[in-house]
Amino acid sequence: MTRIVIGQYYPSNSVIHRLDPRIKLLGIMFYITALFFVTNFIGYGVAAVFLLVMVKIAKVPLLFLFRGLRTILFILCFAVILNLFMTPGENVIFAVGFLRLTMEGVYMAGQMAARLVLLITGSSILTLTTSPIQLTDGVEALLKPLKIIKVPAHDIAIMMTIALRNIPTLAEEMDKIMKAQKARGADLDTGGLIKRAKSLLPILIPLFVSAFKRADELATAMEARCYRGDMGRTRMKVMKIAKPDILALAVLAIYGTLLFLTRLL
Amino acid sequence: MIKTENLYFAYPSEGASHDVLKGLDISIAQGEFVAVLGHNGSGKSTLARQLNALLTPTKGTIWINGKDTKSLDHLWEIRQTMGMVFQNPDNQLVATVVEEDVAFGPENLGVPPDEIRKRVDETLKTVGMEAFALSAPHNLSGGQKQRVAIAGVLAMHPDCIVLDEPTAMLDPSGRHEVLNTIARLNKEGITIILITHFMEEAVLADRVIVMHEGEVVLDDIPKKVFSQVDTMKGYTLSVPPVTDLAHTLRRAGLNLGDSIMTVDEFIEDETVRKLLPKKTNQFAAVSPAKTVPFTQESTPAIEIKNLSHIYSPDSVFEMRALEDISLTIHQGEMVALIGHTGSGKSTLIQHLNGLLHPTSGHVFIEGEDIQSDKSKLKSIRQKVGLVFQYPEHQLFEASVYNDVAFGPSKMNLTPEEIDTHVKEALATVGLGEEYYQKSPFELSGGQKRRVAIAGVLAMRPKILILDEPAAGLDPKGRDEILSQIKHMHETLGITVILVSHSMDDAARLTDRIIVLNKGKLLYDDTPAKVFGQAQNLQSIGLDIPQISKLAARLGEINPAITSDIFSMDELAARILDLVGKGGLVS
Repeated sequence: MTRIVIGQYYPSNSVIHRLDPRIKLLGIMFYITALFFVTNFIGYGVAAVFLLVMVKIAKVPLLFLFRGLRTILFILCFAVILNLFMTPGENVIFAVGFLRLTMEGVYMAGQMAARLVLLITGSSILTLTTSPIQLTDGVEALLKPLKIIKVPAHDIAIMMTIALRNIPTLAEEMDKIMKAQKARGADLDTGGLIKRAKSLLPILIPLFVSAFKRADELATAMEARCYRGDMGRTRMKVMKIAKPDILALAVLAIYGTLLFLTRLL
Repeated sequence: MIKTENLYFAYPSEGASHDVLKGLDISIAQGEFVAVLGHNGSGKSTLARQLNALLTPTKGTIWINGKDTKSLDHLWEIRQTMGMVFQNPDNQLVATVVEEDVAFGPENLGVPPDEIRKRVDETLKTVGMEAFALSAPHNLSGGQKQRVAIAGVLAMHPDCIVLDEPTAMLDPSGRHEVLNTIARLNKEGITIILITHFMEEAVLADRVIVMHEGEVVLDDIPKKVFSQVDTMKGYTLSVPPVTDLAHTLRRAGLNLGDSIMTVDEFIEDETVRKLLPKKTNQFAAVSPAKTVPFTQESTPAIEIKNLSHIYSPDSVFEMRALEDISLTIHQGEMVALIGHTGSGKSTLIQHLNGLLHPTSGHVFIEGEDIQSDKSKLKSIRQKVGLVFQYPEHQLFEASVYNDVAFGPSKMNLTPEEIDTHVKEALATVGLGEEYYQKSPFELSGGQKRRVAIAGVLAMRPKILILDEPAAGLDPKGRDEILSQIKHMHETLGITVILVSHSMDDAARLTDRIIVLNKGKLLYDDTPAKVFGQAQNLQSIGLDIPQISKLAARLGEINPAITSDIFSMDELAARILDLVGKGGLVS
């Protein structure tokens, strides 16, 4: 009865959603790298405007974008505070004991915060607009050249697919096992750390037993359907670079140039 | 197209002396529909895995379209020719989107992308799942998942599909979906090999192969196979109830045909026509209304008052699972709770021991409102034992004894008391001392299930709720479990609620049937009265026992046979009674 949402994919039919996942993956890598070359606030401004335009085109509610920030809130605050007080500088605003708040500190902390926020919100655009299966395909395609150095691109991709397929099944199963053990008097919510860890055994053992059994059956079923790795394998959906993808590359290039120009200011 | 010659097989782990298949000589022609029957361990599934070279013979040969399965050159061709569908729908779907999963087989074969697209669309249409092409498998029903699995095999363009108990884990409507699909594919020329425990399914085939201890013991058209009622029972297999009835009547001296398998065939049998001429009969009024033998004691075991449950209220996923249910179950009663998947059965039983909390309404166990005091939840759960579906999945201890002791050890008992609880519970399910130190994981399916039930019994519940206790077992395992439950009820005097899809089981074991539909209480009455509502039951996706169907049809011919008869013995007795009275014995 429970619906499980995997990842944070936000279905919509925008241009960004339809872009080739490879382009999106490359784009996000470019965006992240570029952020580290920014030296002043005008640069961050450009990046922020670019991000907002992308969000607008992707038709994703802004709220979703900031959700990703919640998980790093602690790190963000920590980094800001550290930078505020630990940056050496001349222009002291005030000093209490060994804590010195300087202009340079404020500047550094601001930069750090801007970078982190842009980094996280930027990468969530990728996960918000790309379904897990597309992401898997993209990763496989991009890893393919690394086969020469024995990176098992296809195996990584099929592992990701099977994991995604089984998360909801196993989650349901865990719910069932927990209820069954509770019905047998298991107490999962009280007691100290060790007692609680121990009370997980009646849930984890059956879950693992079942996961192994599932894996075994799935392997047989895959073999029966002629699976033999990526030997001679074709794909139903072939990723093709289309016009919007080229356009996206051009936009990224312009963005990169702009960002570089801000360094000269 | 399939030919096995002196086929022997032994699993390497068990040693060559344990032959699972012993000299099979089977040949199957293109376009045949073959059902393979046999109890667990008879070698059926092993045979299936031989047919598409997942296993290869230790001795003898299998030819698929003239190609030896042992030669590696033809391996992929053979697996493409012989598609396989397995029992558990969850463990054979690979991708997270239906159409991607159907594409998996052709992709492995290296079919060009455009052609794969075409095949995926076509096969999804063939199995009637085109509307779900972009759905995620985990949101589908069991029957739908199995149809996707069939589509995935079909997209590889096989000549033959081997299905290994494809309906064992499905409810009646899912079973119908899958069987209809299979029958249609066979009409289109695909060879079907259906491994099953359900005799009603075997009747659909052109040919039935019965396996016993690794050998083929019967191989003939269904009529011929099922006419050997005693032989089949000797192999611990059942025959369709109507066939059984005809057999009983024949033994009582009536001259019925020996190849009756369906209700229609029974009705159209010449002797039946002659024996039961259409007439109004004075017996019409004599309906054996069963009286419920329960005196109303002071506190009922379970009292449910205006119970409603809504999942994820006020969200997009809001679902009304139960609506305004009120019912009373008395101490020592044995009742059946019936409804198709999604009717609210599981939600209802989880309220009875506080695993779920009512959105509104109350549940009283022996007069006590279980919501009133949270600290009493533990004692409620001890009083109300709940055995979930496939309970063997919850076993976790290293030994049978320890696993059964899990429940009692949480009850503040002395070690001696725990010991007696455990030993008695295991004795009740028929597992003796020799099992105490065995690992539950090395037992057979039926034994595992009995250990799991003992694990609940060891808490000495006063009320025992079992969710589909016989699901997925072979006929012998089913009978054992169900008769043990009946025995427990009679000797220990505990109140039993049996949740089931199977009307046959419900009718055989209980005196009261509660039917749920879409979260509402539809019927609460004796089996006779409930099965009298045949059409209503069928319209909500439930099946009635074959004998009830027959009784209803016979009732149209002769009103002395009333549609509330549901047991074979009763119907046989009624017919013989009528025949005797009418003096029409031929």
